[in-house]
Amino acid sequence: MSIEAHGIRKKFGSYTALDGVDLNAAQGKLVALLGPSGSGKTTLLRIIAGLEFPDPGSGRVLFHGEDVTDLPAGKRKVGFVFQHYALFKHMSVFDNVAFGLRVRRRSERPSGASIAERVHRLLELVQLDGLAGRYPSQLSGGERQRVALARALAVEPKVLLLDEPFGALDARVRKDLRRWLRRFHDEIQLTTIFVTHDQEEALEIADEVVIMNKAHVEQVGTPQQVYDKPATPFVYQFLGNVNILRAPALVGGGRRGL
Amino acid sequence: MDSALATSPNPRPTSAASRRATRDPAWARWLLTTVALVFLACFLILPLLVVFAQAFSKGGAFFLAAVREPDALASIRLTLLTVAIAVPANVVFGVAAAWAITKFRFPGKSLLTTLIDLPFAVSPVISGLIYVLVFGAQGWFGPWLIEHNIRIIFAVPGIILATTFVTFPFVARELIPLMQAQGTDEEYSAITLGASGWQTFWRVTLPNIRWGLLYGVILCNARAMGEFGAVSVVSGHIRGETNTMPLHVEILYNEYNITGAFAVASLLALLAIATLILKSAVEWRQKGTT
Repeated sequence: MSIEAHGIRKKFGSYTALDGVDLNAAQGKLVALLGPSGSGKTTLLRIIAGLEFPDPGSGRVLFHGEDVTDLPAGKRKVGFVFQHYALFKHMSVFDNVAFGLRVRRRSERPSGASIAERVHRLLELVQLDGLAGRYPSQLSGGERQRVALARALAVEPKVLLLDEPFGALDARVRKDLRRWLRRFHDEIQLTTIFVTHDQEEALEIADEVVIMNKAHVEQVGTPQQVYDKPATPFVYQFLGNVNILRAPALVGGGRRGL
Repeated sequence: MDSALATSPNPRPTSAASRRATRDPAWARWLLTTVALVFLACFLILPLLVVFAQAFSKGGAFFLAAVREPDALASIRLTLLTVAIAVPANVVFGVAAAWAITKFRFPGKSLLTTLIDLPFAVSPVISGLIYVLVFGAQGWFGPWLIEHNIRIIFAVPGIILATTFVTFPFVARELIPLMQAQGTDEEYSAITLGASGWQTFWRVTLPNIRWGLLYGVILCNARAMGEFGAVSVVSGHIRGETNTMPLHVEILYNEYNITGAFAVASLLALLAIATLILKSAVEWRQKGTT
């Protein structure tokens, strides 16, 4: 399912988080929203999820061409993974993953046996079978991350949204897990948008990178495109190996010496 | 050498030096502990013992007679009835207020947060007077209430209202910092997974706050049983009808029935001790689970 956002504006009081932002994620792609903190990327993700709403009259969110702007999060069929996973602390891994199925209306709720079967299949998918009885506090960061992923996938979402999926992990685990996420994405073929402030992460695993700065989108393209042909000085600087030559010394009359 | 140590960025005192720096001399420790214990004994334990000593000073038979006296029984019943209504009401109000304040953004939020503390800030006597001014015979709704033959002041409804007002902050105050610390991510997760607001509350929010809530309920309960000032203003002190336990104790005491007064007081003290034990148990559980 493709995801489109057009002309999204969002203000929190006098602070502008998004100022007319467009986004287009084609079916089955892995898209990175990349930018420094405060650039509005998480707000955009939450608006796509339906956890926040754009300012009245400012823009639309479309899933597969269908307008979902006014639909609440629960009806959008999105899988959302929070930066700190937001697992239910008082529930076991099994109950966490089963949650989305158990809260369904009686007529749509699968039987206990088929819920159990589905949960175990998902835990297998994220390589956590055997940990079903554990509680979130007994898991490592990487394991919690994957439980959150399995929980989001249990409701069979049409799109997957990840907020800083590797932000809370240490460097080693982060590298392993992002390659794993790339393979995982190829396997499940779900349109996925993830937010990150790590250039390397975005360039390594995303099909398409959306670079944001100060409530605007600076550039959209494949990792190769944005890296080879940065559209603005900001993108150039942000993508690393900065070697901008500043010339004020010459303009201002060349104050040299020590 | 000394000055070099003091100005070095990362001084590492020897273990002997650190022991000297962090530990007070033995006499100081003993003195402080003794002062604290003597204070506790004089101001907390001694009065408690006096209550029980006085209650039984004329023997167990007198104690039982004082407690079984019809007016005393009526006061016990009224206190329990008040608690049975005021505490559940405050659980509902407190949870609703804490939920609204911590999980939503809305105008007037800080005003609401301040208002919750109002019952703590004003004297209980004023709290009682407010209800007399609103519902009393000379009050705003007085004539209307008299016309419809509804009695609030100098009757049981007034006592329940005043108690509810005075004990309102306990549950909300206990929950607000807890729910603020927990944030809203778990609730948002539940919502993206398709849970309704009601399901989110019962399955996610409530289990997360259950120990804090129980703690608030216990404190609320203790205060509701013991409330004197506000209840005294609205009760009218009608024996066997509008006297709660604390009011009954006062009446007996004023009539020089000191042993009787202490007998009923000892029951209140017992309830208080039970509350404290329960509170410690809950605190202990809370530590175990988080």
